[in-house]
Amino acid sequence: MPQIELAGKKYEVDEDGFLQELDKWNEEFAQAYAHTEDIEGTLTEEHWKLINYLRNYYQQFGIAPMIRKICKDLGIDMKKLYELFPTGPAKGACKLAGLSKPTGCV
Amino acid sequence: MNKMIHIKDFSRPGGQLTEIDPAELMPLPPPYDKMEKAPIRQLTDDQRKRMDASLDGIVAIGLTPPATPEEEKAFIEKFLAGLEKLFTVENNWTFLQPLVHTLDYCVKCQVCSDACPTYEASGHQEIYRPTMRPEILRRIISTYIKKENSLLRKFKDSDIDLNWQTLARLAELAYRCTLCRRCAQVCLLGCDNALISREIRKIFSQQMGIAPKEIHEKGSVQQLKVGSSTGMTPAALRNVLEFAEEEIEEKTGRKIKIPVDKKGADMLLIHNAGEFLAWPENLEAFAIILDAAGVDWTISSEITGYDSVNYGVWYDDFQFARVAIRQSQVAKNLSVRKISLGECGHAHKAGIVIADRVLTGDLNIPRESILPLLEDIVLSGKIKLDPSRNNFPVTLHDPCNMVRLMGIVKPQRRILEKICPQFREMTPHGVENYCCGGGSGFAITQSTNFPDWRSAVSGRMKLKQILDAFQDVPGAEIKKYVCAPCSNCKGQFRDMFEYYGVWKKSGILYGGLVELIVNAMVDIEKPFIQWEWH
Repeated sequence: MPQIELAGKKYEVDEDGFLQELDKWNEEFAQAYAHTEDIEGTLTEEHWKLINYLRNYYQQFGIAPMIRKICKDLGIDMKKLYELFPTGPAKGACKLAGLSKPTGCV
Repeated sequence: MNKMIHIKDFSRPGGQLTEIDPAELMPLPPPYDKMEKAPIRQLTDDQRKRMDASLDGIVAIGLTPPATPEEEKAFIEKFLAGLEKLFTVENNWTFLQPLVHTLDYCVKCQVCSDACPTYEASGHQEIYRPTMRPEILRRIISTYIKKENSLLRKFKDSDIDLNWQTLARLAELAYRCTLCRRCAQVCLLGCDNALISREIRKIFSQQMGIAPKEIHEKGSVQQLKVGSSTGMTPAALRNVLEFAEEEIEEKTGRKIKIPVDKKGADMLLIHNAGEFLAWPENLEAFAIILDAAGVDWTISSEITGYDSVNYGVWYDDFQFARVAIRQSQVAKNLSVRKISLGECGHAHKAGIVIADRVLTGDLNIPRESILPLLEDIVLSGKIKLDPSRNNFPVTLHDPCNMVRLMGIVKPQRRILEKICPQFREMTPHGVENYCCGGGSGFAITQSTNFPDWRSAVSGRMKLKQILDAFQDVPGAEIKKYVCAPCSNCKGQFRDMFEYYGVWKKSGILYGGLVELIVNAMVDIEKPFIQWEWH
């Protein structure tokens, strides 16, 4: 199993860097990971809003929400989503939020 | 020129058999002739240590080499035991006859190589010839199963040295074929070399527990356990449906309740769960059309009953049977008259065709494609349609399993001819179509550098076809639509279009068939297709 070292801590991840031990997630993890997903500097309030939204949905339903639902519930469009997470919602945002990689025909 | 690779090279320890050379790949029209990035990501040193990439530097499975000679021996014996099983009726109740036929009758004339989009687009990489895998298998059988004497083997040129490396390369090679079966279609002797890829996968999965994670562990295993390969539980499904109903109301002003677990409904509609999570507009469009046409339908919220996928059809008979039986039980419990499958190609093959091998008695419920029903609705005039609303260039992708395998060719065309004034065919099309490049599980295989390979190589022919179909309107300012009535193909198009920057460069959107129908509905005010969601 590959490992990644962020802010002095080691985490088990899959081949594409998605966290495997979901309970190990913390805010330092998300911040330290941000630059690998092309996010410059400190995560903003807007980033956190999305990260927390994803984590809440995931805790409730065990999957990441639909992109359309994210946009609707947070009142943002796709363009904004990609501005916040340049590598995309499924890759960048889910990765920082510590969610598993989406599976199946999605 | 790509170098000649011989079967004996497969047994060579270490090193990589071949490399995907960007200069050798089939040329694409401008501006796609110049790629800014290397076509395929290199693996990291750490990945190379852990995962075997000795075939072509690409990883679909990524086996770890054995630690000891004993381990290697056990690995080979296990494979041979699995191979032997393929030739008994009890253990191969699905495909024994075409397997034996193909191994016995192929004369290696190579007509199939010219028909294979992966071989062609790769710039004629020897290892991707559809005849390569069967020939390796044939030689293993000659040398290690039949144990033919060495003189005969020399005469037949059927010797092969079997070691871990041979099998690791063969396992990966079984995942370089999309199972599109274009090779089988052109074979003059009726051989099905694509089936051999599938049967090799079967040995590795059923006998050795080896399969790509996305297809097995996160795929069919997860589907049987939580309800869907997407991880969507029944509770999550209800949340998604609520969202879809809200969206329908916002987009169309119609209040539609999507029927769930309606006992005695005429039709149980099973969607690929990818529609629920990635393309909700597809399931919304279905609900709008079926509601408007007064169809008595339902979806199920039972585990496995709301996801039509059956990945077993790509690699494992047991997993296939488990899912097929479960889906039929769901329909039986609901007392529906028939199961209808939404826009998903492999689910058509699995649920309608191959499931006949496992569904007996009252589990053998009538199962059909939704496409003819959609054709009836559109052509009967049950809903009013205005083609001028779809006045943009549209082309049609033929999902291999619906079209080549099952011959469902015309319904989707008659629909498009009626509602899309700028509909144009690709060349070739219909049963001679080319695969999207994501067939047989490739579109969902998302790890390491495999996604690059399926965009750069296995999907390359399709991309060229799409661009050619729109060559009269190449610019991004003219919005265009590839109609792909299959979730798996849509997933491949999404990833491939992103990989090449197709939306930005050419303004091409992909989507399903039902979205175009709803987009043309006269009494819905706003356009249903939203180009901004490219």
